[in-house]
Amino acid sequence: MSVESQLPAGFESLERFVPQWCIGRSCDRLQARLNSTARERADFFAAAKDIAPAALEMLDRKPSSDYTVQETRLMNLCLALAHIALAVEIQGPDEDHHAASAKYIAITRSAADR
Amino acid sequence: MTIQTDTFQPVAKEDLAFVGTEPVPALPYYDPHYFDLEVEAIFRKSWLQVAHVCELPEAGSFIVRELEFAHVSILITRNRNGDLRAFHNVCTHRGTQLVQERAGKRALFSCPYHKWTFSGDGELMSAPDFERFYIDKSDCNLVELPVDTCAGMIFVHLDPEPQMGLAEFIGPLAERLNTLTVARATSFSEYTYEVAANWKLTYDNFQENYHLRFIHPRSGEAAGGESNPFGYPSHYGFHGPHRTQTIWSNPDPAVKPFQLFAFAEGVKVSIKDGLDMSNRDYFGIFPNLFLLGNAVTPFSQCIYPISVDRTRSVIRLYWVGDDDKASRRFAQEYAMATALDIHSEDRAVIEAGHRGLRSGALRHIQFQSQEVLCRHLFNEVDARVQRYRAAQREGKQHEC
Repeated sequence: MSVESQLPAGFESLERFVPQWCIGRSCDRLQARLNSTARERADFFAAAKDIAPAALEMLDRKPSSDYTVQETRLMNLCLALAHIALAVEIQGPDEDHHAASAKYIAITRSAADR
Repeated sequence: MTIQTDTFQPVAKEDLAFVGTEPVPALPYYDPHYFDLEVEAIFRKSWLQVAHVCELPEAGSFIVRELEFAHVSILITRNRNGDLRAFHNVCTHRGTQLVQERAGKRALFSCPYHKWTFSGDGELMSAPDFERFYIDKSDCNLVELPVDTCAGMIFVHLDPEPQMGLAEFIGPLAERLNTLTVARATSFSEYTYEVAANWKLTYDNFQENYHLRFIHPRSGEAAGGESNPFGYPSHYGFHGPHRTQTIWSNPDPAVKPFQLFAFAEGVKVSIKDGLDMSNRDYFGIFPNLFLLGNAVTPFSQCIYPISVDRTRSVIRLYWVGDDDKASRRFAQEYAMATALDIHSEDRAVIEAGHRGLRSGALRHIQFQSQEVLCRHLFNEVDARVQRYRAAQREGKQHEC
């Protein structure tokens, strides 16, 4: 019996990140960033940063209303990467210090949430 | 004006001295009595931005906004003719707050207490057993507030008869505001946070770059450069009570690889949307609104006082373009998260500033020339407070 892929073909390398980083709402993506470990963030960023351009290019070919379940997961991974990239690439070792203040911020509306 | 040079010179302090050079009194930044005067002299006497037209897209749309500093709840509706109306969110029977929801769409608003029912134009349409009252229905309409728009933003005024209209209040800046993304935005992202600090301390943090390299050494790294390590603006403008700065265009910003990719996605979307990619203006609209003209991160920040030592910031990134393509959503998410990172980094130091001043240790605070916008805000605030005080002393009707 074959196990159905969680992501579109070509993006299998990101499958292991789906449970933690496939998140549907911006406010929850921020919280996931703030509640994650440096190792978890670094692993996800290292695996996803070079794949993201191809993922967005592929997803750009159709509106989100036509996404398959796998494509929706990939989109949500890309949106989580937007947060995690800032944590890893910009904040780096200062992320914990940064998170101490960011926890007071609430995302109340997001254009990226569809 | 954008200066693209590696021999940047900040605006000379001699050229900014006309705004003032003396130390500024510390007490107004934490004194409860001064705050009460600000509420009366400024926040009840100024046009206040509370919403955007895209929140009321069609007839019957409504929103509710709370202005805690005045204990006021405001109901804004779009009526059958497409006009905006603003009312105190208060039933005219016995004062019960009329609408509990923050937003929605409906033709009628019924008070939960005794079912007095009002139209979107504020007219009392029906009231059970009304014959037993001693008044006419026509005297029971909702209490209306002045409302107007500029660049897509909805402003209200708590004075039923403002001394000047919104167009006069904004003045010539309206033309520049109308070129910004906000003027034709169809959606927005929003985040909020509260700070245990006075509203002026909160506001001031966002109108000086002196602190950037110390508080934002990573997130603000691209803002400064070798010739302009503090990332000072290339220009300041003073427009009545309002002020502007033109953000320095760093010719060689330190940008990380993924950051560059994400920014490029935002640029592509912005170009597709026909946005002005050269705009680097940052607007401070009196008393409590900021707007950044940048096309990729087009944010506004409205700083609402809650009390003398508590302030709420509402940050919005306004968007145009109606497709929901992946690259657009990604660029919007990255832009929002970028702005959020910077705002979160400021929070602790703003609160530390308030704690220090509240201790009473200082009688005055110092502003250098590149903090001129902070000084300008204080000047504008204090002039209104002193006029109000004088009018109070003389027992006259306040004329701000």
